Amino acid sequence: MNNRDNYNFETLKQALKLKRHEVPPPGYFQKFSGKVISRIHAGDSGGRQSFNERLQYQAPWLANLFQLFETKPGLIGAFAIASCLVLVLGVVLAERSDSAPKDLMATADSAAENSNAENPSLLAPMLTAASDTSGGIVSSTNPVVSLQPAATLFGQQNPLFQPAAFAPAGN
Amino acid sequence: MTEPVAIPDANEPAGMLEGDLVRHARRGDLAAYDELVRRYQERIYATIYHMTANHDDANDLAQESFIKAYQALKTFKGGSSFYTWLYRIAVNKTINFIKQRKNKYHLSLNDLDINAENDPDLVALVSHKTPSRDAGLSELQKKLNESLLKLSEPHRMVVILHDIQGMSHEEIAEIAGCNVGTVRSRLFYARQQLQGDLAEYMKPA
Repeated sequence: MNNRDNYNFETLKQALKLKRHEVPPPGYFQKFSGKVISRIHAGDSGGRQSFNERLQYQAPWLANLFQLFETKPGLIGAFAIASCLVLVLGVVLAERSDSAPKDLMATADSAAENSNAENPSLLAPMLTAASDTSGGIVSSTNPVVSLQPAATLFGQQNPLFQPAAFAPAGN
Repeated sequence: MTEPVAIPDANEPAGMLEGDLVRHARRGDLAAYDELVRRYQERIYATIYHMTANHDDANDLAQESFIKAYQALKTFKGGSSFYTWLYRIAVNKTINFIKQRKNKYHLSLNDLDINAENDPDLVALVSHKTPSRDAGLSELQKKLNESLLKLSEPHRMVVILHDIQGMSHEEIAEIAGCNVGTVRSRLFYARQQLQGDLAEYMKPA
């Protein structure tokens, strides 16, 4: 069976030899390179470039990825699932990073409570000043810890966040 | 008295090595690029022609492939030979063209050269079909091209590069960007398809 197949392929190869005898019109190749060079001189871009062709030269890895997707469509699903997982992971990590300032806030609050409990005389002038203001606005020299993170996920500064610096007055 | 043999001058494009020609062409030397075109024009044209079975399309695509290669020369890093790189450009361009054209095939076949009628293998193939060699070969030519066009582009490319252009599996793998095993399996499948389609010619005499 194998021998018969080989024999048949040999016959096929003989038939394909006919293609080598197909030749363009006489003198065709004598003018060919001249036409190419004159088109280059004229600034010809070599025909309209398709998206695939541009990709082939500018980002071959991306073109190969697309080719892989074409040949194995199942990979598109796998890639999409992987992308979703990365996204979900990113969101979860972002949530966790949000909880850190809350802890800081809790720490700051408890520290303030402790200091007031230890020395209540420090709290009295502040309460008096607060009651004196007509709007009832309480001012404090304690730093405010914002719940907003200083930087966003992509490293951009939050415009609403302004770090406060306090310098001791006098002395 | 014998004629003196012209020795190519290494400083002239015709006498330069491929690597030197590529270096000169990258610097904008069109004479060097002209020489590169002359060296590969027949093989590039033939590959595209066999893929499309249309002389006009092959003419346009071959010219565009050389123009594209000239413009992309700066991105040629020399990881493969210029010849392989050029082939890759031409094959990709042709496959993109065929995909855009979809299934609208229009045969525009070149004439057979005079040697075809004297090829004993070809004569044996058509002799049992018709006593006229010329008519028999023309019929086989048409049938062969139609059968090739029925193959998918990757299968057609492999059978053309291997069985018609005489390239090795390794060279084809490099051009197609796949492994040698894939080339072999594509070649086997393509041959089987062609054999089935050309069954009437495949009978032993």
